[in-house]
Parts: sequence; structure tokens; C-alpha cells
Amino acid sequence: MAWSRKSAMFGSLAIALYLLGLTLRNHQLVTVAVVLLSFLTWAALRASHADVAASGRRMEERTEEEAGVSLSRLSAMRKLSSARVFEDGEVDVTLRIQNHSPLSKVLEVRDSLPEVMRIKKGANYILMELGPRRETLIEYTVECPLRGFYTIGPVCIRIQDSFGLFHKEKELHVYDDFLVFPKTEDLKDAFVKSKVPKIFTGAVNIRQPGPGSEFYNLREYIAGDPMKAINWAATARSGGKMMVNERERDAVSDIILILDSRAVSETGPVSRNSLVYGTRAAASLASFFLSRRDSVGLVVYGDEVLSVDRDTGKKQLYVILTKLAGAMARGETPLQVVTNRILPHINKGSPIIILSCLEDDSTIVNAVRDLRARHFDTTILSPSSLEFEFDARRLDRTGYEVLKTERDILISELRGLGAFVMDWEPDMLLATALSGARGF
Amino acid sequence: MAKKGVSSDTSHLYDGKVVRAAAPSRKKLAAKMTSSQELPDDAIPEVHIPSFVESLFGGPLVPKMKFLPADKMVQTLQMLSGAVMILLGVLTWIVTPVSGTVWFAAADLIGAEFLGLGIHLLILLVALGCGFWGIFSRDSRFLLASYVLFILISLRFASSKVTFEWVEFDDGLIQKVLLVTYAVLLVMYIELTNGVVRFSMLDTSIRTGEVYVMNVKKVLNKYHISLVVTPLIAAGVAAITLMFKDIIADFVGLFSEISATRLEESVELESVYGVALGTMIVFLIVAVVFAANVPGRIQKIRENAD
Repeated sequence: MAWSRKSAMFGSLAIALYLLGLTLRNHQLVTVAVVLLSFLTWAALRASHADVAASGRRMEERTEEEAGVSLSRLSAMRKLSSARVFEDGEVDVTLRIQNHSPLSKVLEVRDSLPEVMRIKKGANYILMELGPRRETLIEYTVECPLRGFYTIGPVCIRIQDSFGLFHKEKELHVYDDFLVFPKTEDLKDAFVKSKVPKIFTGAVNIRQPGPGSEFYNLREYIAGDPMKAINWAATARSGGKMMVNERERDAVSDIILILDSRAVSETGPVSRNSLVYGTRAAASLASFFLSRRDSVGLVVYGDEVLSVDRDTGKKQLYVILTKLAGAMARGETPLQVVTNRILPHINKGSPIIILSCLEDDSTIVNAVRDLRARHFDTTILSPSSLEFEFDARRLDRTGYEVLKTERDILISELRGLGAFVMDWEPDMLLATALSGARGF
Repeated sequence: MAKKGVSSDTSHLYDGKVVRAAAPSRKKLAAKMTSSQELPDDAIPEVHIPSFVESLFGGPLVPKMKFLPADKMVQTLQMLSGAVMILLGVLTWIVTPVSGTVWFAAADLIGAEFLGLGIHLLILLVALGCGFWGIFSRDSRFLLASYVLFILISLRFASSKVTFEWVEFDDGLIQKVLLVTYAVLLVMYIELTNGVVRFSMLDTSIRTGEVYVMNVKKVLNKYHISLVVTPLIAAGVAAITLMFKDIIADFVGLFSEISATRLEESVELESVYGVALGTMIVFLIVAVVFAANVPGRIQKIRENAD
């Protein structure tokens, strides 16, 4: 039997007045106490909690039937409009509650939602009278502001007396999982190109001129160009200048995204931290490169090194997005461990994009030096946790300045090694940050 | 093959040359999935932890003390609570004489009995004032103060006698009826004012979209029925305990007239301890009903009835 604070207040008041009444030999107090006790008893009887009280067993020993006769014949089913959405996307939830009992019931129904979800339309908390052998549909829409794996459920049902003195609750274990992918930003230009494209049968194009099948552009003839490349129609139009067709190189570019998901990457507010920005950037870059038909691989390092093998196509995008959705801020694996592990498996010269806050890792410089020594085109996008902390007023001005100086020195050192480094400030768009990093 | 020191790309070939490039068609397909980079302001939900008073009044419903203007249901409850409070005030004045109270004893000690009466009246008026303010501003703190004052005023040493100082009733039955009415009104006052706050919370939650209510009328009807039935039952039980002496005497009278007469004349049964005995017996029966799981069994039969 679950007592509310109100019933506890009534109960203790009744006992206190009863004892005071006996002590002061006061009929008035005793009568009030008796009325209060009767009130409580009647509410308890109406709420039908006697089964639990009489069983003499502990809560955890209760069987489903003992958990409440009045709630035993209720069932729930849930349907989601989508099992995969992007951040800020919406999911329509339809909950069907069925009453199999011949009695009508006044129920409080709450569909448990993850804390970060916001209700956009409708309500997940319903007070209703459900008639005998009836069912009802509860519809609501939730907005998903943060990436991750989420579960909706269980459905909590509460039945209580009219005065809210006693209640009985039951959880209907109906769960539905869904995935929130990090949102992606539109990247308009290709900032990163492979200098050493991988050529294989059935390859798709890379945006560089070279031997291939697809037209790329027209240019003036240069000595050594094959005669078959001359575009005679364009030559005629250009007033005597010899023009040749240039074709795109049939190749793909291997792009490796390395995401830092160490515990330190979650420094800052829940919705504004290095990991959130990093996952969004990784998602945007993966989406962009894959749509450009490049081959994209992902490495997420935190307490362990997780990798998604390079591949192309839409399926690969969802594999990467799923991995990014599940990235948790844990552990403190240094970057050099990651680079040592992956370098033997990456084509020489492939662009590598590192998304890291660059904090608490003494191996960063060595790792980047190794990458550059092997001619990897290294880009570092570094969301600054200092800015997040400072914006959230968790860092004072002096501390901020000192840490900022240290960070600037590190970034300068990395730039000195030939890496493109961008100190990504919170309000900066990813495209702008990339442009900055690549010197556009 | 690119020469040493010369970039391996072909850009140097274009120096001083006219280039007319057609955009690759797949550029149109590039990065189609777009959305804003702006972060949601309220990504972190605000968690409201109810205070003790809020949870006391809220029960298991959503505790929220900032209400929207009262709707019709709440207004009706407010009017009803106000009416019950006035009746309670009048009855309290009738059934609670000043004699036996601490303030009367203190005033008597300093030889100013009127002061005791003044304090008595003041407590009642403050209880009413707090009640009015609490009901119409829907402020649970004032309501709590009102409850405390209504109980405080009845804390008096009464020597097991039912005495009404302001009105004389010779008939014991009328005295008991008045006493039961007073007790029921006090409990109903607590419940109704609690209902004002509870339904204001619910109404606000409905209007702000936190809670959705289906079949509001049926839900409210059940509450209205309970508001009528429960006090009647509570009054019945209280009447039985107060008149326990007469009931037990009548019962024993079926077997022995003499014993019945002795019981009727018993001073102990007439006193508050008689009422205590009655209460004990009535609630022992209730305990047996609970122990035998009678409500559960009845519920089970009703649930399984086709």
C-alpha cells in the first residue's frame, strides 16, 4: 500500500489527536480522530489495497496478481513513428492502453521518457477514466535534442482513491528503443582532398583531374596532351585557342575521422561540450564525404579504440552515425595509442581529421608529428572546452586566460608540425571552422 | 611523375590559362542532409523538487504551486470550502468552550478571564482569516496555519464531559450529533481546501499541457460522489463509537436486562474511555476485514465477473 504524504499526515494527526483526547479526556479530539481514521480506512478499502497488506510478504516477493488486482487487467502497446532520427528531430509516439476488466477505472498514466526529451505536442501524462473493456490511444510528439541511444518506457500506471490518500502503481514493461543521430551541417565545399587516391575497379570519381571517364572541365591545350582529348567544337568557339577536355580521375579518397571521446571531452554543459560538437562535426563530415562518394572511416577513442572500417555509400553513413550516437565520454586513451594502432592500416597520404579538445593528453604532439612524418594530410578541429566552461560561468577570467594561453601554445606547436588546426569556438559554424583550419 | 619539389597536383598547369569548368553534377548531391547548428536552449530539463508543503498538498499529482486563474471546478470547490469553513467556525465556537484551555488557565491566574476569552476568540478569527486567505489565494501555507489553529483551539482539558458553553443542550443525542458534525466538518474542511489546491495543480497542468485529462466529467463525478459518501460513512463510524455505550447496552440487553442497565449507568463507558473502547472494537472489526483480505477478494470477484 502506498501512502501519500497527505494520508501520512491524516494518520499521524488522527493518532496524535486520539492520544491527546485520551490524555485531556476530551471527547471532541477523540471524535475528530475517529472521523479521520474512518476517512482513511474507507479510502484504503476503496483503493483495495488490503490484498498486499494481508499477504504478509515483502514487496519484491509479490507476484503479478498480488501487485494489484485492480491493475492486473490493464495492458499497453506503443508505436513509434521512427526508430532513427537526427538531433532536434521529432518522434510521434502512440500509446494504446487497454482495460480488459469489466470495471471502469480512473487511471493516471505516465509514459516514461528519457530526461533530455522534450514534449512538443500532446502529453505523456494522462489522467483518464477508462471504461470497462475499452481502449484508448494516447498520442504525443517528442523532440530529441541530444544524440544517443534512448528507450521509451516503461508505462507507469497509477490508480488512487478520489482524495489522493492511497495509490497503487504498476509498471507495464513496454519498451521501445530509438536512436538519435548527431545532427549534420551542410558543408558546401570540399576542403579536404586526398593527394594519393586509391584506385580500384568500379571506383567512383574524386574531384581531381586525371585519367577517367567523366567530364571534369575544359582547359587550354598544353604540350603533351593526347590528341584525342582535344575538344574541336570548343576550339572552334574559342577563337583559335586549342581546348582540351579534362576528365575526372576514377578514384576514391580515404578519409579517416578520429573522434576524441575521452572523459575530458565532456567538460562543459550537457548540450555544449567538445564531444557534442565533435560528434556533430564527424557526422557532417562523414555525410559530406560519403555523398561525394569518398571512402570514410571512423575511429572513436575513449576507454577503448573503436573503429568503423573505411567504406562508401549510404549504409556506411548510418554505420558511422550509429557509432557516433553511442559515443560515450569515458577513459583516457592517449592519441598516440590510436595513431600507432591505425597507421599501418591507412593508405599513405589519406586525409585524417582529428576532432579533439586537445586536453589532458601529453602524446598529442608526438602523434601529430608521426602523422605528418608519414605525409598524412592532418586536420585538427578542436572545440574549445574553455569557451564552453567560460560561457557557462564555470571558469573565472584569470583561469580562462592562463588555460587559453597554454592552449594557444599547443595549437601553434601543432601548426608548426604542418597540421591544419582550428580552435573551434562554440558559436562558429563547422564550415567556417573548417575553412579556418584549411586556410581558405 | 611529379618532379621533386613540385606539387603533385596539376594546378601549376593552369597558370595563365583560360579554364571553363563545368561543375560536377554530383556536387548537387553533396551534403544534402542539413540542419541548424544552433544548440537547443533548454536541452537540459529543469527539475522541480517539490517542497514539503507542496508534496503534502499535491499528493502524487504534479506538484506546482503557481496556478493559472481558477476554473469553474476550482471556484466551486473554493465556495464550498468557504461555506464549510464558516459552518466549522460557528460549530467550533459552540462546541469548544474556553474553560480548560491553556490560555484560559493563564488568564485566570492573572485574574483576567476576559483575556482568555479574547485569546480564544482571536485564535478562531485568525483561523478563519487564514482559511479565507488560503482558500481564495490558494496558498497552502495559510491553509496549514488554519488547520493548526482549528486544532489548537480544541486542545482543552474537558474532564470527559461534553460541555457547550455558549449554547445549552440537555439532550445528549443532540450533543453527540453536534460533536460528530463538528468533527466531520473539520475533516471535510481539510479535504476540501486540499482539493482546491490539488485541482488547481491539476487544472494548471492540464492548461499548460503537462497533463492531459480524458473524460474529465467522469473523473470529477467520482470525486463529487466521494465527497458525499465518505463523510457520511465517517460520521456513521464516529456516531457508533460515540454511542457505543448505548449500542453495547442494547446488545447485552438481549441476554440480560440487569447487565444492560449496569452498562447504561456506567460512568466509565460514558467517559472518553468508553469512546476509546468503542473505537477499539470498531477498528478491530475493520482490522479483521483487512486481515481476511475481504476488499481484495471482492475486487477480484468484480474484476473477473463477465
